[in-house]
Amino acid sequence: MNHALITLDNLSIGYNGQPVLSGISLSIARDSFTAILGANGSGKSTLLKTLLGLLSPLSGRIDATQSSTGAPLAFGYVPQAIQFDPIYLLTGFDVALMGTYGRVRPGRFVPSAERAFVRECLQATGAHEFALTRFAELSGGQKQRVLIARALATRPDVLVLDEPTAGVDAEATRTVLEFISRTRREKQVTVLLVTHDFAAIRHHAQQILWLHQGKVLKGAPDELLTSERMAEIFEIGIS
Amino acid sequence: MMASLSHILSPDFLLRNSVYTSVLVGFSCPLVGVFLVMRRLVFMGVALPQVSSTGVAIALSVPLWLGFKLGGHPSESSHMLAFIGSMTFSLAAILILAFMERRGRGQPEGRLGTAYVAAASLSILVLSKNPYGELGWLDMLKGEVITISNFDLVLTAATLALVLATLGLFHKELLLVSFDRPMAITLRKNVVFWDVLLYVLIGLTVSMAVLSVGPLIAFGFLLIPALTAHLFARNMRQFTILASLCGGVAAFVGFSIAYQADLPVGPTDVVLLAVLYAVGWLIARILPRGSK
Repeated sequence: MNHALITLDNLSIGYNGQPVLSGISLSIARDSFTAILGANGSGKSTLLKTLLGLLSPLSGRIDATQSSTGAPLAFGYVPQAIQFDPIYLLTGFDVALMGTYGRVRPGRFVPSAERAFVRECLQATGAHEFALTRFAELSGGQKQRVLIARALATRPDVLVLDEPTAGVDAEATRTVLEFISRTRREKQVTVLLVTHDFAAIRHHAQQILWLHQGKVLKGAPDELLTSERMAEIFEIGIS
Repeated sequence: MMASLSHILSPDFLLRNSVYTSVLVGFSCPLVGVFLVMRRLVFMGVALPQVSSTGVAIALSVPLWLGFKLGGHPSESSHMLAFIGSMTFSLAAILILAFMERRGRGQPEGRLGTAYVAAASLSILVLSKNPYGELGWLDMLKGEVITISNFDLVLTAATLALVLATLGLFHKELLLVSFDRPMAITLRKNVVFWDVLLYVLIGLTVSMAVLSVGPLIAFGFLLIPALTAHLFARNMRQFTILASLCGGVAAFVGFSIAYQADLPVGPTDVVLLAVLYAVGWLIARILPRGSK
């Protein structure tokens, strides 16, 4: 296993001072693929938002810095496609271009080299064919490809995906997950992915974080996603 | 008609400053109106001009309350005073409302509705006790775009140019923060700064528009051109340019109609914008899907 890229030390997370999860201590290895599973309301999105800096931890510590330089990690965030307001008249390319805004100073135009890089990212995700179509008019799977291209355009250390296969059919789910796995290998990025889809993710993830009743269970898919272990977790009998 | 147009465009036209101011407001208001529409803050577009006009009424009344005597008709000093009052109230209102919006508690529509009626009532109360209210201030608040001095015109042009330049310069940051706030945070953008900047630009534009054309007409120019442009635009660039052109052209045509038919300018502009929106809506329904 590679060195830890992100370390959570006795972390407590939640909203308005009310903890959703407490005492989380774990590490996420560099270039690994970690899936975060759990039922609705188990704290998956809260954990993700805390890691991204969208929420402050209630207590504890997150170390998410480059060990060599101490520079903060670059997160490429892929939110759920459904959350975007269709009133914005943005094309797929416009949305993907936002990935470069972290490197382009305020008041400056996006340079042509960055635009070319965004086109490469769209090509890599197979989104170049509909890049000039309005984002709001794309299908769920097409939006996900654009959003993944945007995350890649940030030149991320960590790719963070919030239910990228929600509302996407089985075939598209397989394609999206295979693409994410391939991207992780080729670009050597760390992947953190929230999903409900146990079956689809077990062939891709190297580590599972399972949020259940305020606790974080962790392990490899082969350890955690067995029928015996799942029955034990859910306290149900199996014949 | 052509003779009337050439007369209005003539440098010797008596009301030329009014034409220029109307057109400036017509071109500029939709540029910030686009952001109000995209951020679903249409009700703020109603409440803010009203709050701004209350600021004008209070600012003009303060000297009287303090025992100073002002002229009966708006002068340069009183216009500057009105501008300060309008700006102060607009900015305070937009920042407070935006702060409460971000906290996400209560009903936003309820807050904006309360701000609107309270501001409208307060304006009437303040002006009812102002002996000069009947002599000029009411006309200013109603948007009678007739007596615009060179100073007023320069102040309007300078303010709107500043807004335009800032919007153009920081368009990508303002768009990112509006479209995807979490993404902006992960890119380490100072979202509070960009939000405040946008609100200041909206406040400046609203203040200037209220002083020039009144609260009702300011609301019309903020929202109707943006809504009309949204029917036809395919991307953000087209959206912004179409909205601005729609506002600017409607302001000029509205002025011409009002001048010819001896009608009040502001209400003529708003009715014209509403007709354009209705016609645009019908055309957009008739056009085949995908032709937009």
